[in-house]
Amino acid sequence: MDAIKFVLNGVEVAYEGSATDRLLDVLRDTYGTKSVKCGCKEGECGACSVLIDGTLINSCCVAMGAVDGCSIVTVEGFRETERFAALEKAFAGISAVQCGFCIPGMILAAEALLSKNPHPTTDEIREGLSGNLCRCTGYNAIVSAINTAAKEGNGLW
Amino acid sequence: MVNGYAPKCLQEALEIRAAHDVVPYAGGTDLMVENRPNVTYLFLNKIPELKQVVVDDNYIRIGSGVTFTEAIANENVPQLMKEAISRIAACAIRNAGTFGGNLGNGSAKADSVLIEFVSGAKLRLLSVKGERIVDVEKFYLGRKKLDLGSDEIIAEVLLPKTGLENYYYEKVGGRNALAISRVSFAGVFEEKDGKIVNIAAAFGAVADTVLRYRDIEAMLIGKTIEEAKAMKAEYIQAYSDRMVLTRGRVSAEYRKTVCMNLLGEFLSKFGI
Repeated sequence: MDAIKFVLNGVEVAYEGSATDRLLDVLRDTYGTKSVKCGCKEGECGACSVLIDGTLINSCCVAMGAVDGCSIVTVEGFRETERFAALEKAFAGISAVQCGFCIPGMILAAEALLSKNPHPTTDEIREGLSGNLCRCTGYNAIVSAINTAAKEGNGLW
Repeated sequence: MVNGYAPKCLQEALEIRAAHDVVPYAGGTDLMVENRPNVTYLFLNKIPELKQVVVDDNYIRIGSGVTFTEAIANENVPQLMKEAISRIAACAIRNAGTFGGNLGNGSAKADSVLIEFVSGAKLRLLSVKGERIVDVEKFYLGRKKLDLGSDEIIAEVLLPKTGLENYYYEKVGGRNALAISRVSFAGVFEEKDGKIVNIAAAFGAVADTVLRYRDIEAMLIGKTIEEAKAMKAEYIQAYSDRMVLTRGRVSAEYRKTVCMNLLGEFLSKFGI
């Protein structure tokens, strides 16, 4: 049997397990990318969001066989970029993080949004984050942080 | 791969479907929530033939592997369909969820399926033996029961090219993003030379399948707006008498009231 081959944060990997395994579990348990959080396993909370070929996807709703040949980015890979630095600075500066559980998903949702729309309106930011739930900080600070990152990081996206 | 097949083309997918006991996997957004044990998936998410939107003489043909995000960005997909699918969950789910998966899941809450019912869409099913074209209304046999052979896959949705321009659509859910429909309604209307030539109404999330009653619709076909107005109460009553709602998290009485209100709003929108 051929392994499932994909690129994780720029590194080629081969997964020998079942094609029906959940991407979320494999990312955390096999590859140790613990920024990917498990909140609901129903595609409702967005804490497990990753970028698959640049597209925001809930990794809890992906079976391993579906990522054969794909490139996956989690915060462990994204944190090496200038874009991440701009988002990190804005989130920290505005205190848009409290417990932090939802933040990896929020950051990747922001990256997905800004890649398509570098200067979003507040409504567009809210739409871009609509699949990511936060239960402590509240959304205003997070929306504000993304707005700031878009302005301060002008040209990065 | 273990417990899965990832064919690169349609023919290969059909051969695997015929030869093995597999569950077709499109976007995964329903299947992975269900997470059935001991299954083997047939991954259809990378088959180019299933990812196209093509317009022919009669139909807008939407491939079963087209995601909702892709369809929203496609100029050939009718506005009514776009309105319904843009309200499915949130962007990360719309990036993965597909037309084929929405159908194959067999739920009466499927937002794209509601539009397929109201538009009288057909489905193109394929197997190694050939193709079968079925009306979407006949494809749904009951809750989670589909007229789909164990060797068949859903290849395309065939939406009529015209007749969806004048519509009324509402989705009632718990919140905006991520909401599963509690009641969804779509109506289409067409008038020509002062007479109603088409009126159709479909109700989602209220019974085992999407509901559409062609015989009740026929009461208003050929009527003028004035004549239809005079029959409005009788028309709504006919729906009320016919519709039996399944129990849900929200009471059947409430959902039925909402259905009748939406039907009334739909008629009012077009002057009835």
